[in-house]
Amino acid sequence: MNKGAWRKILFLTVMMFASLVAVERGHAQDWASVRGAFRNVRSVKAGFLQERQLQILENPLVSEGRFFYLAPDSLRWEYLSPVRSVMLQKGDSIRLYHFSEGAWKQDMAEGVEARRTVLAELSHWFQGRFEDSKIFSHSYSQGPPGRIHLTPEQGINRFILGIEIVLSGRPGVIDRVEITEPGGNAMRITFRNVEVNSSLPSGLFDEP
Amino acid sequence: MSLRSIRKACLIVVLMLCAGCLPVQEKDLLPGAPEDLKGCLALFPAGPWECIHKIEAVIHEGVSSTLLGVTKGDPAGRKLHTVLLTSEGFILFEAEQLGDKVSILKAVAPFDSAAFAGGLMEAVNLLFLPPQGRPSKWGKRADGAIVCEWKNPDGSRTEILVSTAAKISVRDGQGDPVKEALLRPPFVQGLASSIEFRAYKPAPYRLKMTLLHGNG
Repeated sequence: MNKGAWRKILFLTVMMFASLVAVERGHAQDWASVRGAFRNVRSVKAGFLQERQLQILENPLVSEGRFFYLAPDSLRWEYLSPVRSVMLQKGDSIRLYHFSEGAWKQDMAEGVEARRTVLAELSHWFQGRFEDSKIFSHSYSQGPPGRIHLTPEQGINRFILGIEIVLSGRPGVIDRVEITEPGGNAMRITFRNVEVNSSLPSGLFDEP
Repeated sequence: MSLRSIRKACLIVVLMLCAGCLPVQEKDLLPGAPEDLKGCLALFPAGPWECIHKIEAVIHEGVSSTLLGVTKGDPAGRKLHTVLLTSEGFILFEAEQLGDKVSILKAVAPFDSAAFAGGLMEAVNLLFLPPQGRPSKWGKRADGAIVCEWKNPDGSRTEILVSTAAKISVRDGQGDPVKEALLRPPFVQGLASSIEFRAYKPAPYRLKMTLLHGNG
């Protein structure tokens, strides 16, 4: 291959990467298009890394997991480490399981109600229905990256000071969620390998 | 089978059942050396430490829940700071102890009752801080196990038994078990790899604790 051809390939490669970065980072999204993109989401499949910062711990408590969402109200939120557990939501039915001694065990019913609010919020976020939240008011800053700020109502702010949903460059995709709590505690959930509108196995939301 | 052999079988069964009811004699304790007492106290971290446990709580048989327990402590000043979280990382309970003073920093229902907070902090004290004062007796059993016993101001007794595994138990003034913890090796920087905790009174429950991170 001659020198001119190499230059051409190098130029095209550089142009290709530059255009990809522009798509991922440079494109500011207005609120209407953000909401429109979320409304087109029928399913989401992703892995996540959760970093739990507690004031009493030197290093954050790191958990890894995966989640599956099927509009309008099916969710599988699963932790793979350090504690294997799963929350399954299908309509109004919510079940919790943990993996112990080689088998899935159903959690106490008392734990379900506490999670119902959290799962309802997650479902709102994946559909872009931020105005439907009963406990958070929202505002949007265009970025890039676009950020949705959720401010808790009175009472909830004893536990959560604020939530920031950082959007990915890809329409309808959340990059990470940052939760700030009183007392210097915080939590960050970073999503990875996000697949939007791929087909999901039917049994995902029924059994652990 | 003849009537005679049926009677014999019944007699054997009755004798076996009665044997189960006989009180177990406490094994004789050989007088303890100072090293034996150190053996009991070595069960607890000697300096500041922090640990994270996976906790499986069994309230009724067959019904359980998994939580995460984060505890930081320092035997000097009997300091403890404990946080109980769901596996998703939401804080259910947070309390701090400095000497005899316990402060509840955060608690959501049903973890917000004074009874729960008191019971939980008692359990954390039992597992991570050595009993206060000098033991009333200590020594070695014939099988080599080290036993130390403390008499508590409320009339209860705390016993520590160190063998291949270790056991911490509390009995009330009548000798009935109140709390019991089985600590299994290996010990990672002074912290047991797994703990089985059982409370008998006032409400019975079981905790299976697995050490995820320890820094003693």
